[in-house]
Amino acid sequence: MTFSINSEIAFTYLLAKKKQTLVASLGVMFGISIYIFMNSLITGTNEYFEKITLSSTPHIRLYRDQEMSKPTMLDGFAGDSTVNLISNPKMVNQDDRIDNPNALIQFLKTNSQVIAISPQITANVFCSNGNVQESGNVSGVNIMEQDRMFDITSTMIAGNIKDLHSNPNGIIIGSGMAKNLSLQLGDNITVTASNGLAQRLRVTGIFRTTIKNVDQTKCYVNITIVQQLLQKDRSYITDVYVNLKDYTQANRIGEQLTALTGYTAETWQSANEQSIAARMIRDMIANSVVITILIVAGFGIYNILNMMIYEKIKEIAILKATGFAGKHVISIFIFQALLIGILGSVAGIIFGWGLSKGSSMIYIGKGNLEYLPISFYVQHYAKGSLFGIVTSFFAGYIPALRASDIDPVEIIRG
Amino acid sequence: MIALQANNINKYFYTPDQFQVLKNISFEVNQGEFVSIIGKSGCGKSTLLYILSTMDTDYEGQLQLTQQIVTGNKQDQLAAFRNAHLGFVFQFHYLLPDFTCLRNVMIPALRLGKVSRQQIEHDAYEKLKLLGMADQALKPASKISGGQQQRVAIARALINNPDIIMGDEPTGNLDTRNTAVVFDILQRLCHEEHKTIITVTHDNDFAAKSDRIIEMSDGLIVDQRMR
Repeated sequence: MTFSINSEIAFTYLLAKKKQTLVASLGVMFGISIYIFMNSLITGTNEYFEKITLSSTPHIRLYRDQEMSKPTMLDGFAGDSTVNLISNPKMVNQDDRIDNPNALIQFLKTNSQVIAISPQITANVFCSNGNVQESGNVSGVNIMEQDRMFDITSTMIAGNIKDLHSNPNGIIIGSGMAKNLSLQLGDNITVTASNGLAQRLRVTGIFRTTIKNVDQTKCYVNITIVQQLLQKDRSYITDVYVNLKDYTQANRIGEQLTALTGYTAETWQSANEQSIAARMIRDMIANSVVITILIVAGFGIYNILNMMIYEKIKEIAILKATGFAGKHVISIFIFQALLIGILGSVAGIIFGWGLSKGSSMIYIGKGNLEYLPISFYVQHYAKGSLFGIVTSFFAGYIPALRASDIDPVEIIRG
Repeated sequence: MIALQANNINKYFYTPDQFQVLKNISFEVNQGEFVSIIGKSGCGKSTLLYILSTMDTDYEGQLQLTQQIVTGNKQDQLAAFRNAHLGFVFQFHYLLPDFTCLRNVMIPALRLGKVSRQQIEHDAYEKLKLLGMADQALKPASKISGGQQQRVAIARALINNPDIIMGDEPTGNLDTRNTAVVFDILQRLCHEEHKTIITVTHDNDFAAKSDRIIEMSDGLIVDQRMR
């Protein structure tokens, strides 16, 4: 009963001032729709860039890092009788292989977070067709594993990745290199390593990632080819790529893997710090815009309710004279603010969705980005309306407090 | 039975200078009595009425209404007390213009929440009928004449069946004919329904017809006469 009469008065006041109600609701609506739009755009953009990043970077890369020379050997040799200093320590030239890669892979498979593992070797090479030469970067991989990790299939413009799997002398090259060396599917290519060893391979596939650098240099071959080029044995592996169920956990799991295996774990975040920084900046820009808009909308509601209370001051005095306590007056105006907030939120959700939908049709057409990347998540809409209602509540609370403090005697006596 | 008892009420204004508006006001009003308070402008009669109405709590002394001490109660308690036991009629009717006449009458009862909505609506119609306003019930309060508004305001004052009805110049804004109508209504309420009525008025004719006149001057009661 208490609720119904207060809300009834609030409702009547709102209906009596349709224009003001509409303007206040529009303020909330714009605030929330921009909130939804900005969040959808930023999340969409972040997801797009993350996808791009993760299409060429594994969540975690395990490798053996070069180590500084340690004085322990010298101590062992010279003993405590002398003070042993190495004045200019250097990186020790050591084998960068992963010891017993099969055991490491078996170990990684027991980790429930790991969903894909791809052991590989990379080497800098020259690729040549006739007398035209291009420098390249060849990855010796199990192509099926690599595909599961990076979805190479989706970037293939000629051939099939399975052809590399079935052809030990096959190679998959990028579209840029194919163009520069005027190669087509089935053509031969000579790959020369830095030690002068060369292999003649057959092009079984061409991919196009739209990242120019990758398309011009990256090649995939079978592991054995690189092992032969580098004159290494059949168990020579330099890197193990690991993908996780939840890639945001890469840093934590990377640390675990380093501790457990002794190899350095490079996560996708540490390999792409500039894009993480860009993401943080984007988030900051979006948040500041959104907060500004919500504050402006909040002031709009505050202003309109303040005006309304000023206009209704005699009526508030009368209500108090006839038995409305301060808390009832507060609830009348809070109820008005909340109604404005709810009305604005509903309109804001619809308008925000429309704005997002419309913007997702804006054609960009650069790289492999066709349309403006916009995400559609229920949580943005839910959070937006929640923020709208909370803002309205506080914007209404301050004038409502003022209204509840009105002394009816002063107003009625004039 | 005593409806209202005021004991040694003192009231000061502090701005611009300290000034004693009411000086040791003590009097009683019986249930069913029609009392008019008269006096010149500035004698403190309206100030007294607002203290009696519990809206003004800044005074010294003690006030009993319907045999309860209300002095010292909190604002919210006083609001609830006014809602249940007091009815008000003001000089400038003060209806809520966005609501219909019927809704204006219903609001204090809806606030009280003692009976069902249907019952309140029925009661409100009855009160409007009593005041000859039933046919205007569904009009917005801003669309009827001043005299009619004042009658709706009286209906509103009656909706919770208060023991005491207070009026601050209830006819101050009305012509002779409407003044007579309002007076008749108040008198009927007093005599037939045994309500206590306390009004502040400038209108000597109005006052002359009430049961008792309390005359004030410079914050003191200078004369009380029964009719």
